[in-house]
Amino acid sequence: MDGQPKEPNHSPTMSRRDALVAGVIVFADGMIASVPKSALAAIEPSTHSRFMRLSTLLINHQLRPEIGARVAETAAGQYKDLPGMLDAIIAIAERKHAAVVEDFFADIPDGELKDFAHWVILAWYSGCSSEKANATVFTYEEALTFKTTGDVVAIPSYCFSGPNRWSQTTVPLANMPKF
Amino acid sequence: MASKMSAEVVVVGTGVVGAVIAEQLLDAGRSVLMIEAGPRVSRGAIVENFRNVPLGAKGDTSASYPPRPWAPHPVSSDEPKDQYLQLSGPDAYAQTFIRYAGGSTWHWAGTCWRLTPEDMRLKSLYGVGRDWPFDYDTLEPFYVRTEHKLGICGPSDPTLQWPARRSAPYPMEALPFSPGEQRFTEVVKTLGYKNIPVAQARNSGIAYDGRPACCSNNNCVPVCPIGAKYDAATSLARLEGKGATILVDSVVYKVETNARNKIEAVHYYDQHKESHRVTGKLFVLACNGLETPKLLLMSADDRNPNGVANASDQVGRNMMDHPQLTLTITTREPYWSGVGPVVNSGIIETSQGAFRSEHAGAYFRYNNFGRNRFVTFAALKKGLIGKALDQEIRRMTACTADIVAAHEILPDPNNRLTLSDKKDWLGLPKPAIHYDVGDYVRKSSEVYSLPIGGRIAEAMGAIDVKITPKFAQSKHIMGGTIMGEDPNSSVVDADCRSHDHENLYIPGGGAMPSTACGNSTITMTALAFKAADAITSQIGND
Repeated sequence: MDGQPKEPNHSPTMSRRDALVAGVIVFADGMIASVPKSALAAIEPSTHSRFMRLSTLLINHQLRPEIGARVAETAAGQYKDLPGMLDAIIAIAERKHAAVVEDFFADIPDGELKDFAHWVILAWYSGCSSEKANATVFTYEEALTFKTTGDVVAIPSYCFSGPNRWSQTTVPLANMPKF
Repeated sequence: MASKMSAEVVVVGTGVVGAVIAEQLLDAGRSVLMIEAGPRVSRGAIVENFRNVPLGAKGDTSASYPPRPWAPHPVSSDEPKDQYLQLSGPDAYAQTFIRYAGGSTWHWAGTCWRLTPEDMRLKSLYGVGRDWPFDYDTLEPFYVRTEHKLGICGPSDPTLQWPARRSAPYPMEALPFSPGEQRFTEVVKTLGYKNIPVAQARNSGIAYDGRPACCSNNNCVPVCPIGAKYDAATSLARLEGKGATILVDSVVYKVETNARNKIEAVHYYDQHKESHRVTGKLFVLACNGLETPKLLLMSADDRNPNGVANASDQVGRNMMDHPQLTLTITTREPYWSGVGPVVNSGIIETSQGAFRSEHAGAYFRYNNFGRNRFVTFAALKKGLIGKALDQEIRRMTACTADIVAAHEILPDPNNRLTLSDKKDWLGLPKPAIHYDVGDYVRKSSEVYSLPIGGRIAEAMGAIDVKITPKFAQSKHIMGGTIMGEDPNSSVVDADCRSHDHENLYIPGGGAMPSTACGNSTITMTALAFKAADAITSQIGND
């Protein structure tokens, strides 16, 4: 069908963010599929509050509630008894009068409860629901992994250097940033 | 002025090779129409894509460039239906490239090693591979033009230049080393090796060509967020300003010949699967080292039963790359990869020597990618919590490093691209590639490159070394439209003009008769300048 072009040079484009905002997943082949509604279900404010309480017990750093809300939403889709699991781990920590995670983590029973605790830690440190390519992304630049090295290594695509100003002295491992 | 239907010169592809040729011709007063299979997107959209990719997938360069259905390119997927390249043979020719306006320079590292005089005379000097049809001194002025067009920084000290035989300085001084690179340089010096600044298409200390200076965003791959690194997308608006017409989302699928076996037109599908025909006086195919031979093979007609430009039966053969092995090293002391650009230096002297009659040379580089994305999940899997987890992520980020050994490879006609019976969204055949790195490379890894890598690791104070079990590809696609003087054994001549069609040019990595060990883009671009001069001369005589 040779002939005159029919304005062929305007393509429908969708960024990954557009897709995420629209509640869809873009697969590698460009196909788009809906996310199960349960995965996006809003959680009760009290559950969010309890999730943040648990998170601050499991992680000895400042955490942002808006990111916690995203993690909690995914947790609600992955763990049927999320409220019960939150209560159980918080109760263990409170019995120990825990100030930091090291005070009570060993008391969490092995199995589903401890696995859940590790998943919450993974979510905050990696900013994702898993290591997989189709993981849900909760945050990029606020993922705690970058905080542990934030005094030396810029988060890729961001920077804190000026032109040709990165020949600083090697920073010791012991100088852990405060975050 | 070009229309959407015709121009004096039709350029298929908007990557660095197509963009450079187009600009030379525009500057010479010629009308140019460029045709791009993929979309034209903003830098901001790609950066946003990158940031929204899960941490575990950030190493997948294609993840930031979702392909359009009509212009597929390789993506990471376990699903057979998603596999664009149909691979076979002992080694996987698993390339990544993107079909976007601007081409794959969007996600290149910017590394620019010139060839040496010896790299172009493998047959004469070592009895292996092929010689180029011209010598280094012929290519050298085109290297200079490339360095100034792309904005390639490099050392002014001749003892740090590769090679030192050059006729003009780099337009910018080399970028500084990070602490890790400096430490690496000192370590390998004790072994007698010289880690030198790599020439790279990245603005060093100053703005250049309307682009800002590098500020160490450490994200050259998959996208420089500020455009400090050259990519061809940065030039497209300028080309339009000079009069170029650029069609995007337009997949050229056929090259049409006429009764004199000259190229008469190219045909493309738009994203609605409607076909269009574009005519011109001269045609340039610069649509990637895989897509170009695929297009030529798809264009077979009665006059050219093996495919256009393929009387020699060499189209799609001699597929090459730089097969690489990676040593992931754990050290006691911090190196802190991730400060500065992602590749900033290398040991290239190991690519040269009389041993090339027996086995491949190799180039070693300290990969300077930030390590968080590589180590975070490994640290989490250790079950650590609290302070111990923080310390482990920090230690693994600082005290692990990748040392890459990239090898040269010889042209082998059995390493071949053909048309698969699997079809893409438009119904066009997917590329099938059979590949074997060959004994020349394997022997190098056994007796040369890995032993050197082991010594480097030991000198770095390695407490653990993991070596990739198989050769990976460097994504430097070469050889599929190989250059030579003999029309019976090569596809294009010394100006990258088809032996078979007087108005068809096929410049780029596909033309390279030897790979050496350094990244191919600077040589591809130098060939583009050489071809542009030939085209300008030819069209002026028509």
